[in-house]
Amino acid sequence: MTKPAHARAPSSARVGIGGPVGAGKTALIERLLPLLAARGFSLAVVTNDLVTKEDAERLQRGGLIAPERVVGVEAGACPHTVIREDPTLNIEAADLLEAKFAPLDLIVIESGGDNLASTFSLDLVDYWLFVIDVAGGDDIPRKKGPGIVQADLLIINKVDLAPHVGVDVAAMQRDAEAVRGGKPVILTDCRAGIGLDQVVARLAHDVLMAE
Amino acid sequence: MLQHGDSFFPSGAVSFSWGIEALGADGKISKADDVARFVRQQLKGRWATSDRPVLCAAHAAGGDLDSVLTADRLMEANSLAAEQREGSKRMGAALLNIHARLETRGAKDYQARLRAGAAPGHVAAVQGFLWHALGLDADSACHVAAHGLAVNLLGAALRLGIIGHVDSQVILGNLHATIADILSVPPAPLHELHAYAPAADIAMMRHETQDSRLFYN
Ligand SMILES: Nc1nc2c(ncn2[C@@H]2O[C@H](COP(=O)(O)OP(=O)(O)OP(=O)(O)O)[C@@H](O)[C@H]2O)c(=O)[nH]1
Ligand SMILES: [Mg+2]
Repeated sequence: MTKPAHARAPSSARVGIGGPVGAGKTALIERLLPLLAARGFSLAVVTNDLVTKEDAERLQRGGLIAPERVVGVEAGACPHTVIREDPTLNIEAADLLEAKFAPLDLIVIESGGDNLASTFSLDLVDYWLFVIDVAGGDDIPRKKGPGIVQADLLIINKVDLAPHVGVDVAAMQRDAEAVRGGKPVILTDCRAGIGLDQVVARLAHDVLMAE
Repeated sequence: MLQHGDSFFPSGAVSFSWGIEALGADGKISKADDVARFVRQQLKGRWATSDRPVLCAAHAAGGDLDSVLTADRLMEANSLAAEQREGSKRMGAALLNIHARLETRGAKDYQARLRAGAAPGHVAAVQGFLWHALGLDADSACHVAAHGLAVNLLGAALRLGIIGHVDSQVILGNLHATIADILSVPPAPLHELHAYAPAADIAMMRHETQDSRLFYN
């Protein structure tokens, strides 16, 4: 992830969270915010809501983070474009947060709900997660979309639903690991709060260089 | 010129509809003719009489950022609807951001003024001085900006499902005459800056409070 020196010189790490609509991206952020804050990290969030400002407002009202540390960027019906080909508004939003709340440790950028082909520009983020859920079907990892294959960390969420949708989570995880060439896969249940310590440990290690 | 006029260039434009989303939701823009009329009106009633003079003045500033600022401030004073004004500034800031990274001359300095709250950063002013720095002549810069606005508006209409990909090319083809027409006379002097696009202004004012929104404006 080396970049030309002029490309970026912020102090904070920037982490993208992508994944299909409803997979649990916002739920994951809501779980991560208190855990990361408890470790003393200073945070901000950019959301790319697709049709409303609902995610930005949900986070602003949720009491997990100061509302002014959350900004929404409209995606103009192009959720992929604004994280990949043209992330300028997201970069500008992150830069402004950075200027306003310096020093920030981490800016989380939630994508507006993607399909399996979406990826984040490495000019926008240093590291990105892709969130899928078991209810989307256990064949998703085998479809090998760029999101599944290239993301630095793959989250398989809603494992609590597996029995209800007839999905073998262990097999899904194996399939995912097989197509990811050793990059991590973590199972989570954002409702009950399972697997999140592992996610935080990963972020702390890979992104925040905290341990 | 091709690089900067191409929608592949990351300018942030995809997030803006400049009133089309609200007018579409109200049923006031529902077919290709409506879109063509709207885009023509935006070009003639707003871009030609307010963005273009500002762009030309910022271009003519020849890299003198204080002169750019004068034009930029006039734009601020003449933008009525909040979503129009803020949208224009957000696009300007986005364009400055990418050019600061590309190290285009003046970009970092003007960006610092924006960040310090010392300049509004309207897109027309930013385009004018950046494209001057990149060696585009004033006429080419105007063509790039007008074409970019037309493509931006048609892209929004297309993504909102109001027109198809064929219609959008037909309309764009027809707009070339409109753009040529606008550019056949010299730009109005800065003190005559004005815009007349009431339907779009009102639509953007209403858009501010709408629940369902794909676009910033
Ligand atoms: N059972 C269960 N439900 C979950 C879990 N995580 C999220 N949900 C629910 O799934 C729904 C969608 O969650 P969100 O966090 O809004 O999903 P998202 O990916 O942010 O959705 P978009 O932003 O619209 O793309 C909500 O109703 C959540 O309560 C989980 O682990 N288990
Ligand atoms: Mg969400």
